[in-house]
Amino acid sequence: MIEIRNVSKRFKKGWYALKNIDLSIAKGDFLFLTGQTGSGKTTLLRLIYMDIFPDEGEVAVAGFLSSNIKEEEIPFLRRRIGIIFQDFKLLKDKTVYENVAFALEVTGQSGRKMREKVMKALTLVGLSHKRNDFPYALSGGEQQKTAIARALVREPFILLADEPTGNIDPEGSEEIIKILQEVNTAGTAVLMATHDVDLARKMGGRFLHLEEGQIKTK
Amino acid sequence: MFAIRESLIGLRRNGVMTLIAIGIMFFSLFLLGAFLWGTFNLFGVIKLAREKVEINAFLRENLPQKQVEELSEKLMSMVGVEKVEFISKEEALEKFQEEIKDAPSLIEAVKTNPLPASFSVKLKDGFTSPEKVEEVSEKIKIFDEFIAVEYGESWIKRLDRVVKILFLFDILLGIVISSASVFVVSNTIRLTVLARKRTIEVMKLVGATEKTIHAPFILAGAIEGGIAAALSGGLLYLIYQVSSKFFVEFYFPHDFIIGGTIIFGIILGIIGSKLAVKTTSKEMKFESSNV
Repeated sequence: MIEIRNVSKRFKKGWYALKNIDLSIAKGDFLFLTGQTGSGKTTLLRLIYMDIFPDEGEVAVAGFLSSNIKEEEIPFLRRRIGIIFQDFKLLKDKTVYENVAFALEVTGQSGRKMREKVMKALTLVGLSHKRNDFPYALSGGEQQKTAIARALVREPFILLADEPTGNIDPEGSEEIIKILQEVNTAGTAVLMATHDVDLARKMGGRFLHLEEGQIKTK
Repeated sequence: MFAIRESLIGLRRNGVMTLIAIGIMFFSLFLLGAFLWGTFNLFGVIKLAREKVEINAFLRENLPQKQVEELSEKLMSMVGVEKVEFISKEEALEKFQEEIKDAPSLIEAVKTNPLPASFSVKLKDGFTSPEKVEEVSEKIKIFDEFIAVEYGESWIKRLDRVVKILFLFDILLGIVISSASVFVVSNTIRLTVLARKRTIEVMKLVGATEKTIHAPFILAGAIEGGIAAALSGGLLYLIYQVSSKFFVEFYFPHDFIIGGTIIFGIILGIIGSKLAVKTTSKEMKFESSNV
């Protein structure tokens, strides 16, 4: 579903954020992407959701190719993948429910079917009872759960998580990872970037270690 | 539906920003409307002055009535002639006596009537420039029946020069005011859009098309522009009412000034928001503390 072939990405003159990366992610995979701050984790994720494009090589995601995707096709690619961030990116002036529903409303969905999908996603992350709360009334963990619900409400084939536990206490972090594992068991691939190598080891599974833009261990 | 709701939410939840935007647009549109109003009145004054442009063609003595009538028809059929008025010897004398009534000794001196009968020829709009007036008067001179044809050459030339200067000044002022208001308004709208940057970011994240992202902002811009324009149109009308009651009755074409201001306000709001949201969306990269 995702193929990254010999990809390099340069930022400043001659400075490689990523160099010669080969990676393939199949349906149902759970993959940790570890490495220190600055090792290229976020760059790799941005290449997958095509916020940036490789200087060399090619990224293929759900049939879209980085070499020939048109700007107006990018929204349709994004609808196939869920993305969560360290800073949650919730809308402060919307409730938990509205934040999740927003992801469906922007593509013209509404009515009972939409409400059912939103409630299903909120139930999955265990937040249906807080649907009318605003983000400021939630803990970090709960805010990230809201973001996960928003990412999942479209039923993406993969969930990209960029340091999802970076702003959350250890207890909350484990809860988040547990939810991601459940999501994965239900059939969605997960690619989680984290600088916390120990956490990744502890949780088990495949992991990929990045150092200065290159893959060191698989 | 989504766009309408989102635009209203955006306007309400960013209340202060919305008010500032409306305030700045109101001020810009008021200036623009006042300029438009001033221009209309300037043209009104110019038109009045140009209506005073006429050619006087003086007739030889003792022409038969029939010949005078034929001559009048010939003048009337000339290109650029609006109206031909016959002024008899007697009328000319009356007019002259009226003009010099403050000098009775002069009236006494005028025992016989030395004044010739004449035609006063008014010209159509577009035929009042010095060149055109001269052209028409040259054609009138061809007729033998006239002893003299005159049209206040130096006065017309001066009027023409003044009109040209006013015209140029008005156009320059118009360019300065409208470009300044476009600049100020688009920057204000850009601030309101930047205040909702996160919303644009999330929309892009969940796969909204550019059209969907733009729609609520454009609608909000149109609403802000419309409100600001209605307020400035209203203020202009109020000023017109007050000034015509207590000072001078200005020419105030409602449709053009109020309608024009509102249409311009809405267009300004739409274009300003469209540009602002387009650049903001284009420049947007998902901010993250990580590399």
